Amino acid sequence: MSGMLRLEGLRKSYRGKGALRGLDLDVADNEIFALLGPTGAGKSSTLLASAGLIDLDAGRVHLAGRDVTDADPASRDVSIVFEGFNLLPVLDVKDNIAFALRSPAYREDDGEIARRVGRTAELLRISHLLDRDVGTLSGGERQRVAIARALVRRPKLFLLDEPLSALDLKLREGLRAELRDIHRRDRSTMLYATHDYHGAIAIADRIGIIDGGVVQQSGTIEEIFSLPANVLVGKLVGSPAMAFFDAAIADGHVAIKGSAQRMPVAGFGEVARAGGEGLVYGVWPEDIEITAAGTPGANAGSVYALDNRGFERAVQVETAAGSFRKVVPHTTSLKQGDACGFVLPATGGFLFDRATGRRLSQQDGSPA
Amino acid sequence: MVPRIDRAVMTRSKTSAIDHAGRWLLFGLLIVYTLYNLGPIFWLIISSLKSRMDLFAMPPKLIFTPDFSGYQSVFGVGAAAGTASAVGVFDSLVNSVIVSVTGTALAVFLGTLAGYVCSRFNFLGKGDFMFFVLSTRMLPPVAVLVFYHLMFARLGLADTRTGLILVAIFANVGLATWIMKGFFDGVPKEVEQIAIVNGYTRMYAFTKLVLPMVKGGIAATAGFCFIFAWNEFAFASILTTTQAKTLPVKISAASGATGIEWTQICAAGVVLIVPVLIFFYLIRKHLLMGMTFGVLGRR
Repeated sequence: MSGMLRLEGLRKSYRGKGALRGLDLDVADNEIFALLGPTGAGKSSTLLASAGLIDLDAGRVHLAGRDVTDADPASRDVSIVFEGFNLLPVLDVKDNIAFALRSPAYREDDGEIARRVGRTAELLRISHLLDRDVGTLSGGERQRVAIARALVRRPKLFLLDEPLSALDLKLREGLRAELRDIHRRDRSTMLYATHDYHGAIAIADRIGIIDGGVVQQSGTIEEIFSLPANVLVGKLVGSPAMAFFDAAIADGHVAIKGSAQRMPVAGFGEVARAGGEGLVYGVWPEDIEITAAGTPGANAGSVYALDNRGFERAVQVETAAGSFRKVVPHTTSLKQGDACGFVLPATGGFLFDRATGRRLSQQDGSPA
Repeated sequence: MVPRIDRAVMTRSKTSAIDHAGRWLLFGLLIVYTLYNLGPIFWLIISSLKSRMDLFAMPPKLIFTPDFSGYQSVFGVGAAAGTASAVGVFDSLVNSVIVSVTGTALAVFLGTLAGYVCSRFNFLGKGDFMFFVLSTRMLPPVAVLVFYHLMFARLGLADTRTGLILVAIFANVGLATWIMKGFFDGVPKEVEQIAIVNGYTRMYAFTKLVLPMVKGGIAATAGFCFIFAWNEFAFASILTTTQAKTLPVKISAASGATGIEWTQICAAGVVLIVPVLIFFYLIRKHLLMGMTFGVLGRR
């Protein structure tokens, strides 16, 4: 698996505010890489930097093995789809799609343009829209045309900046599947920025969790689940996200603040810290068992909220050490305000440093 | 007891009666407003066609025999040709058209370029520059007239169309820059980004993609600049003496010679407003679009 895009130590500030703070990223050839992070995390700046549309304060950009940091955007052979504005209102649908193929850098003859526009339109099922004015298109149609314009040139790298965020759920799911299908057929490389966790894991081969202008962790979702790098990653992946509890080590055990359960510290392998305060215990909600209030050995909590998810319910449990959310079957008898119990697993937990957020150790359950 | 359904019907008919009355009231107000605006123009036009006798008749005459002597003396043709009463506005009309059209075109051209730069690029002192540009419109003309007069006299620009064109540019380029910056701010920067990534130059993106998107704004800006240039009186009255007099200056000068010739002045007034009407008629579609585009911003 060779590298298509390599970003090294990217830094960029806007009016003194750092958008990228030493960002490193590797995207392999032929993969869909999702950049998942909240608004303001640096996703768009990363894409713009890859395309050469912003001047970096520091860092290098390598594309297909070539250092393109100072190269002209037109010479990079990338294409980009934005979240909101994509279609040029002065051109009709056909000319919007053919736009790149008429440029001085990527010019093709008229026959080839017609052939490729026709094929791409077919691929995205917009052949019937080719002669329409872009002002008459619906939101979903507009994004299809925008994606078609990006695809028609077959660039080295597609940069997709929240391309589906403005669409409703059904359209989003449909187009996501189509993008995946196009990728399967064309073996293209895509860097897909999104704040939508479900969207990211549905489309991507690998994902990178970005926050504060830095990629916090990258890998397959399984790799990230099994070893989250820090608290931020735990908060950004999973649905619901990782449950965190204030914890401390005392008497050879990890104790969750305000709860009865004690977990042998030996089960956490070699804890980097000698012990004491300043720890956060994190665990995926799927590993937590919710029990009836007063169950022997269970910790005490109360149901703060209960969201209906159709076949399931998402319950938010308040505890003395923090709150967490977990999905339970819709048959649950829990009601808002009820007291409940919860049991933390013997394996699968993580200890993080509260000050830095860094993961200190993983609970594998092995005895000392 | 009134059945419930009847009461509902009554309420509905009452509401529609209020709606109806409101609509008529609005209609009436609009008529009054229209008359208020068009009244003076109507008065100007019929007065320009009245003889001196009819003009001062009391009660005012609405039916009269049209008298074109005002127009004849304004243009120095017909019976008035070569007589002392001939004002002969043709030269000053030409001056006004040349100065206003050229001044507007150049001010809009420069304002468009400057507005684009101010909208898209950051440069040292941009905020100060924008304020400076706007501040050129804050001074009352009378405050700088003397300096202009001295400067133009020294440069040989006094009483020349070139001088007045420069004044029209100076007076309008700041306004044009600000208005156009607003319109360019409304065009997403993604337009240029899409073009540049796909192998086009920024110049191509500006001329072929961005400019067509702000053509309504350009028309609106040109409209404002043209009105200022066409109606400009203070500078033109000080900086011109014979050759480069514009129409407003010529009309004001005409009133002094043999008493106030109202018919002539009205005829000259009609001549003054006709080009503005034609200009606005031609750009009306863009003007409305331009005015709302700037307000609504990003589409």
